[in-house]
Amino acid sequence: MLRRGSFPLLLLISLGHVLVISAQVQSKSGIPLIEAAAFGVFARFQQTTTGVTDGVKSGWNQYFALRGVERDNEQLRKRVIELEAQLQQEQAQAARARSLEEALNLQRTIAAPTLAARVIAGNPQPGSLQVMIDRGSADGVEPNMAVVGSRGIIGRVIGPLAPHAARVQLIVGRDAAAGAMLEKSGVGGVVIGGEKNPPLRLEYIPNLVDVQPGERVLTSGLDEIYPSGFVIGVVEKVEKSGQGDSGERTITVRPAVDVSHLEVVLVILRPAKTVEKPGGKKS
Amino acid sequence: MKPTAVIATVLVAVLLQLMFARYMIGGRVVFDLVLVAVVFAALQWGPVAGMLAGTMGGLLQDALAGGIVGVGGLAKTLVGYVTGQIGVQFVLTRPRARILPLAVATVVHRLLMLSFYGLIDQRWPQVWWTAMLWETGVNAACGLMLFLAAEAVPSALSRGRMSRRSTFSRRQW
Repeated sequence: MLRRGSFPLLLLISLGHVLVISAQVQSKSGIPLIEAAAFGVFARFQQTTTGVTDGVKSGWNQYFALRGVERDNEQLRKRVIELEAQLQQEQAQAARARSLEEALNLQRTIAAPTLAARVIAGNPQPGSLQVMIDRGSADGVEPNMAVVGSRGIIGRVIGPLAPHAARVQLIVGRDAAAGAMLEKSGVGGVVIGGEKNPPLRLEYIPNLVDVQPGERVLTSGLDEIYPSGFVIGVVEKVEKSGQGDSGERTITVRPAVDVSHLEVVLVILRPAKTVEKPGGKKS
Repeated sequence: MKPTAVIATVLVAVLLQLMFARYMIGGRVVFDLVLVAVVFAALQWGPVAGMLAGTMGGLLQDALAGGIVGVGGLAKTLVGYVTGQIGVQFVLTRPRARILPLAVATVVHRLLMLSFYGLIDQRWPQVWWTAMLWETGVNAACGLMLFLAAEAVPSALSRGRMSRRSTFSRRQW
């Protein structure tokens, strides 16, 4: 079955792959050059192809289907997302201001600037929960910046960055997590992504805390990635295994944002840890 | 084997995978158009083409996915080579007959990927059989379209050429 000429080539190529894998597994720090180069080149291609397909689509929608309504709709949708994100920020800020006033603490946070970005591609590895956006290092985007939508958080930027493209790890991904708190009680925990349905789990919540389905779960800001007060999702189920208070509790959370159809997102340009004090000093 | 055709097939598949993956995030529908292209190249042009398509497509996919570069490349190289050998042994020319090796290649590729990641992480990852079934079905459907197109386009072109020639000869006569 095996041809004499091609089999040594197969062995050679396989050996090359194994060497490449070994090199990465041994040194996980740093981004492999091949990864950075391929990402940059394909991001350009993808922007072009997305531009072409979107151009054809919008041309069709504007001239044959709705004659201009699509364009207005697009602008309005972007505006709504921006305003809703702004509203969330304002609400979070107001809530924080109230609690800080009560504690006689004068420290306050400034609403962070945001940058609208279009989702231009998914991840080529099947089942991987990442997307590519059309903003990159040249637009001021940096790794670990939070990405939000109109209804809540979407994920965070991960490296490597191209000048005009970046990869976003979705919060529903298996390796994703965010500092969280329950809206009513304010008790903090960690929301962890996964492959179940719903895909989020809220962990490290003490068993004595009353958690009811329907309660909103917000970002706590303690992870220094997601600013506090943004909606992560809603508690869907609270299941208890074992007897009494010592039994474990599984809290599943339905994400607020439907990640299956993302078009426009907002990148929060300042990391959550950058907090401005009244005197103008950043801590 | 035509190296340009193999490279073009793989590049188009990677671009399409990137483009369509955007609409399938978080859903149950999983597909791997790069694997479809690798199997297509293997059955169309032989094991060396399959192997090279697998290496190129897999490495590109790995580099773009942000995981460990080489895992997908190795899996696709092996799948491309073995599929090419099977194609040489059994001479699968009809599009429908090529669906079976594609379906088997999808399952083998997924299991290879899981095994490699299992070896690297030192723990066996969870196998999602439903997702694998979806991937096999969607890949088979995409493959069938590709195989049918690959069969129909050259024959349509040659029919067009023949009809032009016959019109010309009638005029001469």
